Amino acid sequence: MDRRVGFVSQGREILRTEGLWKQYGRITAVADMHLQVFDGEVYSFLGPNGSGKSTTVGMVLGLVRPTRGRALVFGDDMATHPWPALRRIGAVIETPAFYPYLSGYDNLRALAMSLGDIPDARIGEMLELVGLHERGRDPYKTYSLGMKQRLGIASTLLRDPELIILDEPTNGLDPAGTREVRELIPRLAREGRSVFLCSHLLHEVQAVSDRVGIVKKGRMVAQGTVAELLGRGQYLRLKAEDNDALVGALAGVPWVTAVDRIDGFVRAAAPVAKSAELNMALASRGIYVSELSPWEVELESVFLELTGEAVDA
Amino acid sequence: MGHLIAAEFFKLRKRMMTWVLGLLLVALVVLLYSIVWSISSRTGSFLEEGQRIPYEQLRRGLFLETGVPFALQIVAQFGTLLAIILAAGAVGSEYAWGTVRLMATASSGRLRLLTARLIVVCGFVAMGALLAALVAMLYSTVITATNGGVDFSFVTRAFVYDQVLAYGRTLFVVAPYVALAFGAAIAGRSTLAGVGAGIGVAFLEPLISGLMRLGGEPWKSMPNYLIDANRDVILLQNEIPAGLPNFGPSARALRERGVHSPAEAAMILLVYMAVFLAVGFILYRRRDITAGGGG
Repeated sequence: MDRRVGFVSQGREILRTEGLWKQYGRITAVADMHLQVFDGEVYSFLGPNGSGKSTTVGMVLGLVRPTRGRALVFGDDMATHPWPALRRIGAVIETPAFYPYLSGYDNLRALAMSLGDIPDARIGEMLELVGLHERGRDPYKTYSLGMKQRLGIASTLLRDPELIILDEPTNGLDPAGTREVRELIPRLAREGRSVFLCSHLLHEVQAVSDRVGIVKKGRMVAQGTVAELLGRGQYLRLKAEDNDALVGALAGVPWVTAVDRIDGFVRAAAPVAKSAELNMALASRGIYVSELSPWEVELESVFLELTGEAVDA
Repeated sequence: MGHLIAAEFFKLRKRMMTWVLGLLLVALVVLLYSIVWSISSRTGSFLEEGQRIPYEQLRRGLFLETGVPFALQIVAQFGTLLAIILAAGAVGSEYAWGTVRLMATASSGRLRLLTARLIVVCGFVAMGALLAALVAMLYSTVITATNGGVDFSFVTRAFVYDQVLAYGRTLFVVAPYVALAFGAAIAGRSTLAGVGAGIGVAFLEPLISGLMRLGGEPWKSMPNYLIDANRDVILLQNEIPAGLPNFGPSARALRERGVHSPAEAAMILLVYMAVFLAVGFILYRRRDITAGGGG
């Protein structure tokens, strides 16, 4: 099943990669990567460890030079002229990294000074937003992983960016913190920002993403809206007393394009909207189903099917 | 650029290492002054390069009038090591902490970021040298006051000009080592690489130069193109009063080695600085900045 979908214009294009390729000697880290992120959407980038996600993000941020192809953010080529675009991006790549001897507040202050034109009041606001205002004056080296993640998120929002790149933002957070981040991401998108999210928490991704890209061994293997990737509305789940007879009857229905068996159920590739029509067709053939419902697929199943690997640890 | 310099200054100012290095320099000045003061309390004289120098003259060398060049000599010799650690740490730690990526995406250009950092490191080295000179002047004031009272009649325009010139020369001879540590820390992506290269060259060069001078040509004249020999030429212009330790070869020893003129020595040191910094800047600009402190 080819889940790859073409680029669909969904508004102003924020990020675009064109045949992005990164070679380290004989190792291909990223191959022919094409992706787009549009204004105000949450795009999730999924892949197993070593699949090229961070290298792609590195090229998008101008930290890693592509061997071939290019990454354009706000129209700027990030390999040659990244600085105007970088002012409009907030990013935390992999684990957040800050100065251990500085407090959370001073780390944001140093960052704000580097960026320029950011008032001190904004630093306090960001610490408040991520719940670090009470520990803001403590040294960063005393922070837990969850607090470091929160500071990382605060640092991305410091410059009020149009594009936010978050790499595993819930890593190390407790359930309450994870929920806050899960709520924060769509809120950022609602405020008109675009979010490029790398995460291994597929339930989280499924809940907050507009579109998803799945990479394996440096190549994009699937890309589209969550509904498209899950084949939502495209599959029906059926069960009858005699599943062999059911499969035979389904084969005779012209608009059922594929039939297979999974875990004691029969999966039919047919529009969910034609459920009643299918039921009638089966009944006319003497097959009475005990269950007929849309086939709900989890993103995790799609991920495992496409990559053949467990999600990132 | 101004905001980048402010940010780099803020980070280095807040770092404990910066203050520890500064305190070490001050402690060294105080320690060496105390040792020389203690020795100079003896009566009689000692022999230096065939000249008999009374201990009394050694003490007068510590007086306010002549104290600053001695303090700057300490900066040039021992302060260089501290400057190497400061410069290498300012760059190398960014790789160790992984903040190199944060800063690379937060600044308005990699070269501007590195330039700002270099300016701030040089600024701190200059402030350290000034601090050492001020501490020395304070100590000299105490020594002068306890040996007949302070008389500021020697402070003329020419005197101040000489002190400023000596300060400038001292910073100039420290600069190639700072540039080396800075460039090596970038090339090796670590503080250790910068410290190793800087201190390694500072210690090994005199030894290797000594061996080369034992051989015939072309080995014999090669040390004259190394950093150490040219640094000595520049430093010798800061006239140390007779008897005070100058931690380097005498004017006669340098003449025998056939070293370059001060202007030529300055040019050679400038070339070294340019090469070290160019390597660092080119690598930083062109290389990928990747995970885990690599890059």
